[in-house]
Formats: sequence, structure tokens, C-alpha cells
Amino acid sequence: MSEARAHDTGTTPLDLGWMDRQGEWGIRATPSKQGLTLADIQIGSYGEPGEHSDNQTGRPRGATARADSYRIGGYQVTRKSEIWLDNASFLYEEALQRQWSSATDVPWHTIKPLPDDIEQAECQLATFFTEVEFVAGDVPARWIASTTPDFFEPRQCLLAQVMDESRHMDVFRKRALANGGGLMQTSGGTAGVVGSIDLARDFTEMSSRLHISGEGAVLTMFRMGELMAYNEAEKAMYRLCAQDEARHVAFGVMHMRYMSETAPERREEIQCYLDEAERQILAGSQNPAGTQTDSSEALAILLGGGKDKYDEGVKKLIAIRKRQVQEYIKRVRSTGFGDRFDNGRSSLLDGVAHSIAR
Amino acid sequence: MSEKPRDTTGGGVTPPASDPPQMEPNLKWMGKSHQWGTRVKPNKHGLRLGDLNVGIYGEVPPVWTDQTRAPRGAVARRGVPPLGYAIRDKVDLWADSAADMYEEAIQRRWAPATSVPWEKLAPLPDDMERAMCQICTELSQYANADVESVTHWQAQMAYGYHEIKQFLATVSFDGARHMEAFRKRALANGGGLGLEGPGEVNRMILESRGGWTEAVLYLFLMRGLFTQTVYRYLERYAPGEVERTLFAHCLEDKARHLTYGIDHLRYAVNHQDDQNLILQQLCIIGERVLVRELNDVVMREALAIVFGNGISGAEEGMQIYRRMMADYINRYLATLKWLGVERKMMFPAELTAYLKAS
Amino acid sequence: MAVFPSKAWFDAVRAEFNADESFQGGGGGACNTLMGAKVGGVCYLLTFEGVECSVAAEVAESDLAAADFILEMPSRDWQEMIRNIADNKGADLHHTLNTLDLAREDGLSHSVHGDQYREDLFFRYNQTLQYFFDASARITTEFRE
Repeated sequence: MSEARAHDTGTTPLDLGWMDRQGEWGIRATPSKQGLTLADIQIGSYGEPGEHSDNQTGRPRGATARADSYRIGGYQVTRKSEIWLDNASFLYEEALQRQWSSATDVPWHTIKPLPDDIEQAECQLATFFTEVEFVAGDVPARWIASTTPDFFEPRQCLLAQVMDESRHMDVFRKRALANGGGLMQTSGGTAGVVGSIDLARDFTEMSSRLHISGEGAVLTMFRMGELMAYNEAEKAMYRLCAQDEARHVAFGVMHMRYMSETAPERREEIQCYLDEAERQILAGSQNPAGTQTDSSEALAILLGGGKDKYDEGVKKLIAIRKRQVQEYIKRVRSTGFGDRFDNGRSSLLDGVAHSIAR
Repeated sequence: MSEKPRDTTGGGVTPPASDPPQMEPNLKWMGKSHQWGTRVKPNKHGLRLGDLNVGIYGEVPPVWTDQTRAPRGAVARRGVPPLGYAIRDKVDLWADSAADMYEEAIQRRWAPATSVPWEKLAPLPDDMERAMCQICTELSQYANADVESVTHWQAQMAYGYHEIKQFLATVSFDGARHMEAFRKRALANGGGLGLEGPGEVNRMILESRGGWTEAVLYLFLMRGLFTQTVYRYLERYAPGEVERTLFAHCLEDKARHLTYGIDHLRYAVNHQDDQNLILQQLCIIGERVLVRELNDVVMREALAIVFGNGISGAEEGMQIYRRMMADYINRYLATLKWLGVERKMMFPAELTAYLKAS
Repeated sequence: MAVFPSKAWFDAVRAEFNADESFQGGGGGACNTLMGAKVGGVCYLLTFEGVECSVAAEVAESDLAAADFILEMPSRDWQEMIRNIADNKGADLHHTLNTLDLAREDGLSHSVHGDQYREDLFFRYNQTLQYFFDASARITTEFRE
């Protein structure tokens, strides 16, 4: 029989057999004080997923499977411990509620001409952020498509992160082109080399580099940006970016904590990722606060208040660098991997951080 | 036991974390800009992404050869290892409207938790609730395919076409919201999730391997226009304010996606020989897949029940369903005609039947 | 007129903050945290729930252990910040919460528990917290010396 003859545009009697093949029935989630949140609908069999997902058809978690559905997902992340965190629903809702617009929530009219050395430093830093911010857009995007939708809560967080990073990329481009300057030279710091965020082949490996060390470092830089702002526009820009970044860091901390608690057999492996992260991301060219780069020089000029006050800026930079390392160490402790700072494994203890960690 | 980190980076080029920035700056980065003196002013819409396209910063080349994250207009650093972006031809992704759609998406953001008046949900007759929950289940699965397709491709797009990457970040974020919103509706009124969809069109979208343009045809035009039409009719025939609000928000989002989709397809047809013929062939293939999916009674019956306000009104509801399908097909054909894609050859009789039936 | 520091002062600021929906946009919005504030020897706990600051309470110093993070400065520095906010209808470039945290040798935000995940809430909700203190420009403050 041809498809044409078999096709029914809705002229035959209703079948309605599907009404007997629906998921758990009688669910009535009620809105809480903050609306109807994802947490509010985690009830009955629609609550937390199991430890392993065999959903390869992309069906919503809890929907009734069809036996004849195609296995189109090809999902790589199918074990809960690989991506889960206890408060993903909360972080996602927070991300939705705290979105902002770089077009209208930054008071661009407050930008006034700056001395050339300051403007160049500002633009150098803006170029750096325009370059690196979408690492955290490209990379999570790849993992979203390869994670089973049964773990949709962390996926939702990552989708919000891609959106946030997109906004960060554009707000710094806007800053570079808004005050008589322009884009400057890139750092090349996000190249595809072994151990980079881009090339991680495991989600937790990626998250340890991206969320814990990478974004933790950038969070400090955004805070520095707010400190050294020369106008209300820069103040708002950095403050709002820092909020987003702190949410991404929170994702990484909570995921790694979950991993530590539920997959202890992977602890040693995770320690290796942290080793790499501490050597490359915290200390490498992706972190201008960590070593001397074009962007660190720009930071020093901004912090000092001009090229002629570079040394003063460097002193401030070193002080903030200590804060950066201190916060990193406390975050790693919060994930449950703090033993690396007690047993001498962490290379951060070799130098400036030694006294801080104690 | 103390263990030093293994050096898995293949080299020791990175200074240890403890190295403070050197005191003497080289400042060689100063003065390195392809275009200095750029001062884009905010207007009554704020400072938008598209406003930045001035001078060299607005020059969008037909091929983006750089394989790093060098922002468009920045001075690229030489010798940076490539990241392997696969989509580097403007014709494969561009749409002039992307920058505006990006800003519009941000301005018109909403949150399912708080933008939908969930407290106004009222119990529905069992047949209506089952139908609504089935619709929400399938629409949530559609949104999942949106998310997985877009995030898969977005990460492969060259940095020089940042407007597209950024717009797509809003699309996948919209998809996240739609997945969430439909799930919430299914679990908020005494029902539950239904039977998963047949997944034929999802498979076609996710298995598009001929390039982003092919994915755009299936994702935004064929499926996206269908989804948008469903939203329109559901907004019109929804049983209550909650559903009407929900579908109205989703409808706006979908309209943006479609604007980009059509804009890109037009750009591709206008700038690439035989692209209209390629799209024609893809349509012939895709329409057959669509027909097979439409053969599945579940979504059709559920829609007819909602449109007819119950099983007892399903006959009338089915007439509305056929009218909806005719609207969809007419718009689909009109859009393809506008794009220069002829769709008389091998157009499925099953789809033509909807035009006659209405 | 409200005296700083006092529960009445925080309540007056809360009323201004909660009444203005503009504080829920522009990077503000849902904020869920228990914030401590230590002004000289007087301690407060402020509860932020959703888009509101729902409770302000004067507490014993030991109760600050429950706070996700604590804002602590000498009285004169608190007064300077609040006077600056009043004079400028919002903190100027040198008196925002984050700037004070980084620029002051002792910082501004810390915790008893030392859990950076919880301390990070100061960064995650920074715009909301700034809105909150900026709302103090709308009341008349008298300082308790």
C-alpha cells in the first residue's frame, strides 16, 4: 500500500490508544514562592533520575517509551555521576531570573574619553575577554548535545551558561569599540593543545578546567575589573559578568562535590585534572593575573592608574593574585579534594600560595 | 604521601603558579590595533551588537580562514595552534538579521517559573488533561531536538561570524525554556507526561550531516514552522490563561528562530550556485519523512481534542487540525517559493490532501 | 529617619528595596542567601528570598556562623560607605561592595565556615546586594557614633 493511500488527514475515528500509555498520572506540582520552579516538579517518578540512563531517543524523562523509536541520541554521558549536581535546578532558575542585557543594562553613556594608555589597557583586556569568553560557550555546547536528556537539569544550566558567555563576548566587544579605541592583539591562550578546556574528553575533566580553575580565575579578574573601573559602565559590566561567572563556578564546585561523593573510584583521576589545571589555567596565559602577558600588563596599568604607575599596579595585581589562589584553594576544598593541599600534591603550595593555604 | 603532579602537557613552557609578574613591562602590545579611534555611541535602543559593525569591525569576509578565537577585527597572534572550526564559509551560516534577533531575544526574555500565571491553572476534564499533557510531552521532545541540533553545530562555527554563534546561543536557551515550560505544564495540573513522539523528524534534524544549511532547512523551516503553527493554534484554542500565556511566549521565540532560518536560507540560495536545487532535493526527502511522522495518530488526536474542547468535540477539532495543517503547508510552500525553491515536483499527495481538505 | 546601625535602619532599607521592581531587573532578580553584617560590635542577619529581603534581625555574634557570608568593616567605614551612597544616590566608583572587598586590606566579605561555595554567593548576588545598599539613599540616616 502506498504512503498516500495509508495517510490519514484525520478523517477516521479516533484511536485514543495512547491515552492508556501515558506516564505516571495524577501529578499536581504547585508553585512555590518563586513561581513554579524545576524543583517544584521533581515529584513522584518525575523526580531524580536513576544512576544510569538508557534513553537514546531523546524522550523527556518519565515519558512512556515507544518500542519502535529510533536510537538517535548517541549520548556519551549516560551515568549520573558524570554530570550531576544536587542544585542544578536551583542554579538554572537563578540564571533565568538574573539575566541582563549588555545593550540596555550597562550605562554606556557614562563612558568618557580616557588617557590613551588607560584606553589601550582597557581595550587590550576587552580583546582578551572577547577572545576567551566563548570558550565557555563552545565547549559546554558540545557536551549538551552528547548528554542524555534524562539529566536535563545540568544540561539546562549549561544552556544558560552558553547564553551568559555569549553576552560576555558581546559586552567586551562593545566596550572595546565604544570609547575611541578598538580591538587589539589576541592572546592565543585558548589554542587547542593537550590539556586545554576544548579538548577534554570527559565531562568532569572539562568541568574541572572550565568551571573550577578557568572560570574561578576569570571571576577574580571580573572582580578586579569592577575595582579598577573608570566609569559606571565598566563598573556594571564587570559586576554583572562576575555574577554570571560565580554561578558557573558554583556549577563546577557542586558537580565535583557530587562526583567525589558518588564515584570515589575516580578521585585519583580527578586529582590529575586538577594538577593540569593548576599548571596551565591558573598559571598560564589564560589567566593574565597569573603570569606576565599582554593582558597582565594591561591589568597593572589599569590597577595602578597609568603606564607611569605600572609598579604600583603590579603590587596590587600580586595582592589580588593571592586572593585568587586563596579562593581557588577554598573552592577545591569545598568540592572534597582539599587533601591535595594538605599532602603536598598541589603545585600551588610551592610558592606564593603556601602561606595562604595554611 | 606527597605526590608531585605529573607533567602531561608535553612541555614545560608554563611558569609555575607562584611566579609573580615580572616588574619590567615590555608593553609591545601597545599600539597594536587594526583600527583605533572607534567610538560607537549608544542610541535609544542602547548599544546593540549590530551597532558595532563599523569600519573593519563590520567587514564580514566570505571565508574565515582563522582557526583560533581571534575576534573579528582584532590583531591575530601568529603561530597559535588551530581549534579546528569546521564551518568557515559565510554562505554556510550567515543571516543579516542575526545580530538584531540576538538583541531582541535578550530584550524579550521570559522565565517559565514566573512569567506564566501557574496559580490560575484549573482542573480539566480527564480527556482534555490527557491531550494537553500528550501535546506538552511531544513539544518538549521537539525542543530537545532543537537544543541538541543547535548546540552540536554552534560549536563548529568560526569565530569571525560571532553574530551567528551568539544568536544561536539564544535559540538553544529558548529551547531549554520550552523543554522546561512544557514539562512544567504536564506536571502541574493532575496529569503527567505522555507517550514519547515517533521521532522521525527529530532523527532527520539530528542526522543532518550535509552542513548547517541542511539542518536549518529541517530544523527551522520544516519542523520550526510546523511547531510555530501548532503554537499559534494552541494559543488560540488553549483551555486556559496558563496555556495561552505559555504558548504566546513560545510563539514569539519560535518566530525569531524562523526569521533567522529563512534569512539564512535566502542568503545561501543567493550566494551559492545550485543551492536552491540542493534545498529542493532535501525538501523532497524531508517531506516524505514528515508525512511518515504525520501518519502517527497521537499528536493529531491530542490536538483535535484540545481544539474541540474534549473528545466529544474532536470532530470539529479535527477540522481545525486540518485547517492548521493547511496553514502550515501553505506557508511552507510560500516561503520556499520566496526562497526560489520550486516545490511542485514530487510534492507529497498526503500534504496536498490537507490543502484540499481545508 | 533611621539610626545606623539598627534593625529599624535595615527594615527601612528593606521596605525601599522590596517596593521597587526595578531592582529585580538589570542583573538583579532571584536571590537566596543569608547575609551577615557586622557593624562595630553589632551583628545582623538579613534573609534574601526570591526577589525580596524578607527578614532583618539583630543577632548575637555567634549567630553569624549561620550566614553564607558576612560583611564586616569598622563603623567609620560603614558610615563612609552609607554617606557616599546617600550623597551620590548610589555608591560611586570607589564605594561599591566589590571594590571595598578588594581594595580594603581586610576585605569586606568573609565567613565563619570558610566554605568558598557559600562565600561565592557574595559574588553571585552582588548586583542585588548593591541595589539593596543603594536603596539606603532613599531614607534619611542618622549615625550612632
